[in-house]
Amino acid sequence: MNLNELVTNLPGVAFILLFLILILLFYFTGRKRGTRFLRDIPAFGRLRHSVGLSVEAGSRVHFSLGRGVLTGLPTGISLAGMTLLERIARAASSSDRPPVATSGEGTLAILSQDVLKSAYRSMNVESQYEADAGRFTGATPFAFAAGAMTLIKDENISTNILLGHFGSEAALIADAGEQSSSLTIAGSDEVATQAVLYAMAQEPLIGEEAYASGAYLGAGAVHVASLRAQDILRWIIAAVILAGALAKLAGLL
Amino acid sequence: MKSPSAIFNMTIACSAGLVTLLGYFIPPLAGIRDVLLQWAVILAGFALLVGIINLLSAHFRKLSKAKKGGFYSLVLILSFVGSLIVFGVSGPDGSWSLLLFNSVQVSVESTLLALLTVVLAYAAIRLFHKEVTRATVLFMLTFLIVLVSSAPLFGLSNTPLLSELREWLSSVPIVAGARGILIGVALGVLAAGLRILMGVDRPYGR
Repeated sequence: MNLNELVTNLPGVAFILLFLILILLFYFTGRKRGTRFLRDIPAFGRLRHSVGLSVEAGSRVHFSLGRGVLTGLPTGISLAGMTLLERIARAASSSDRPPVATSGEGTLAILSQDVLKSAYRSMNVESQYEADAGRFTGATPFAFAAGAMTLIKDENISTNILLGHFGSEAALIADAGEQSSSLTIAGSDEVATQAVLYAMAQEPLIGEEAYASGAYLGAGAVHVASLRAQDILRWIIAAVILAGALAKLAGLL
Repeated sequence: MKSPSAIFNMTIACSAGLVTLLGYFIPPLAGIRDVLLQWAVILAGFALLVGIINLLSAHFRKLSKAKKGGFYSLVLILSFVGSLIVFGVSGPDGSWSLLLFNSVQVSVESTLLALLTVVLAYAAIRLFHKEVTRATVLFMLTFLIVLVSSAPLFGLSNTPLLSELREWLSSVPIVAGARGILIGVALGVLAAGLRILMGVDRPYGR
């Protein structure tokens, strides 16, 4: 490894290490502080309430993980979706009609089944697991959307959660939720899809909000710590961008 | 207490993730990273096959239990078998395969795309039925300016003021906002990745 490569890669390594150190720091120092510093995101409050109502009413929660491949950029949002799916499965584990997860990617379908099964096992209700609770609904964007729309219509769905990599087909799924008078909470990693969901979903999750579900739904102290680390790093990035703009304005860059 | 299989899964996942990440920064590990990524691609391809079996089994179950919408499940299964035969006999580039693809798949997806246009227009109108906030007003104003100045409607797209306004919106506030969102998304992805490397999030089962 030559010196040039080391110098080129150093900022990336340093940034990841800083992120890791901040997470560990906030984890060990902030465990007692809990979630008091978190700003209010209405979507998560409504989600908690809606899942509770679904359990009581015997209706179903539909979770769509999108169609992001796990070997590319959408991996992050798909994994955030898995975290939320696990929380939802635990919260609705006592329901007569357990949640159903849809996806447009084979790996996500397999992982969603695994997540649901693991969640029920940890709650000692493994009998609740249904073999078709994690479904692959279609391989193309519109086929995936059409499969999810049919499910929303046919399976007495009261809450729709869309968290994953979606294109504009998310609008069709959100519309099916609206047509069936169910609550739709949605977030995606695609900026254009976020604009679509802002108009379509009752509770859109914009930007980093989509990745914050673990911290807001009690997935553990590490989730809260990572959210605090994200906040600090966002300020650092904003300061660097501003400093760069000022330096350019002053003719230093 | 964690079971031995859970510890084994976690060890494999964390070490594979760590080696892949380090492979981007330490060149000697790049070879191992590429091999791991190739395995992941092969597994993803196989997972598609498993996904299709999952789709068919869900519809078989629906059909056998005579659930609501069972007829559509029957159509799906028959379409799958029919497509399998046609594509198997004619090949992926065969004339029958292309005919089937163009006459069914393309036309159905085009229809859904057209439907999407109507759904989005309806959503824009419906936005005003929600609580009207500064953000919704700003969203709608931007949407209308970009739409009117882009669509060939009564020659409005040629109006210099509208074109300049659209240009400015597209190159300054929209880009700035999109970049801000993307920075948040990137930090979220990094946090999710690090939590998996730390063994906190385990989407591969516990």
